[in-house]
Amino acid sequence: MKCEQIAELLPDYLQGCLGPDQQNSVEAHLQQCADCSGEVAVWKKLSILPAEQPSPASRARFEGMLQAFQAGRSSQPATASRWRQSASVWNVFQWLRSPLAAIAWSAALLAIGVYVGLHMSGSKSHLRDLAAMQSELTTIKQLMVVSMLQQQSASSRLEGVSWSTRDPQLNPQVLSALLHTRRYDPSVDVRLAALDALSRHGRQPQVQKGILDSFPEQQSPLVQMALIDLLLEWREPDADQRLQALQQTPNLNPIVRQRAEWARSKLN
Amino acid sequence: MTLAPDEDLMLQVRDGAGEMLGVLFDRYQIPLFNFYSKLTGDRALSEDLVQEVFLRILKYRHSYRPGTSFRAWVYQIARNARIDHFRKFPPQSTLNPEMLSAVVPTDSAQAHEEVELLQRALQQLPEEKREILLLCRFQELKYEEIASLLGCELNTVKTRIHRALQELRKAFHQLAGDTVLEKAEAAAAENSPPPGGRHEV
Repeated sequence: MKCEQIAELLPDYLQGCLGPDQQNSVEAHLQQCADCSGEVAVWKKLSILPAEQPSPASRARFEGMLQAFQAGRSSQPATASRWRQSASVWNVFQWLRSPLAAIAWSAALLAIGVYVGLHMSGSKSHLRDLAAMQSELTTIKQLMVVSMLQQQSASSRLEGVSWSTRDPQLNPQVLSALLHTRRYDPSVDVRLAALDALSRHGRQPQVQKGILDSFPEQQSPLVQMALIDLLLEWREPDADQRLQALQQTPNLNPIVRQRAEWARSKLN
Repeated sequence: MTLAPDEDLMLQVRDGAGEMLGVLFDRYQIPLFNFYSKLTGDRALSEDLVQEVFLRILKYRHSYRPGTSFRAWVYQIARNARIDHFRKFPPQSTLNPEMLSAVVPTDSAQAHEEVELLQRALQQLPEEKREILLLCRFQELKYEEIASLLGCELNTVKTRIHRALQELRKAFHQLAGDTVLEKAEAAAAENSPPPGGRHEV
């Protein structure tokens, strides 16, 4: 056997996954080839690298984070149970019967129309029509997001947030709906998802402003921590002041306080 | 008594039993920490990233689907957390193996030296090669799981592992050769007198 043939078998040989025949062929080759046997030797040698231990403080940090998370959840038991209930009954058939699905179907049909149109004709007037249809399609998609964000069930609202991320550009209506969701949605998970979606457009000043203005109102430790990370990422001139103000909030979760302290040390 | 599988625990976490994450933390903290520390050479950053992984598990727990391997899912999160971190804070210096204060079993000076050489050789590999070796050698991920993690074919994973191993062997032998040479030079310098007529000031 040549080295190229061995190369194909070697990864499985190292995991002990070869049949007896192939195993024997590889071993016969290894006895003759210094390069290939050197590879096996270095693979085996990797086991001498010691497993390192994280510092003992690591477990305490994790505990703190978990407590912060559970504190955030228990402050909204009603929402959580409503969500679980709605998630359990949520299914595709229900969705298909909803008005939302009607919008989705319209969008899909329009998309098919655009596609067929593109392939049927190339004349200028048709292209203009197609451009108009495409813009209509975008509007329908945006309407759909806004409508989903207003649904009763938290999982539909989450779905709406995830739809909003499919467009590279945020239209003002969607932006305002997302900002509203991020600020006032009763579910922590939906608020976090909206924050994630908005942070993708963090370069737009009105997005940054919208997010930062709602900073003091956020009570959930998880949302507060996500906001701290964003402040650090954006490095706004007043980030340090905002973090300092947050640290002075009475009854602030100690983990959030620590995170703010850490972020301030990174900023300076 | 048998241990609950990771997947069952994660489903409980997903359904609201956040405290079960503690068990998963105990199982995965050290492997994840080692994954990051061997990859980045930075202990403090590695601890931060491990915390970030568990925070993300809580944040994205609803996206965990029954039947998914928890190990593969968590390493997907771990990779993304590292990518996001370096997107926000691009690394300012190259990898420095001395940042690793590894607890090295010092049975003998030679063993100590081999560990150090191997660590240096590993750090000389391009990041994607180092990563794939760490994933299959230390993180106990199957090749199929690595393929889905990296978004490539199974055969591509095997080829990449082989190439990474080739490069590691070369780097290790090069470093080992250099060390032998340095020692020989140092010994020669000690034994031979300085060249005649020239004295250092």
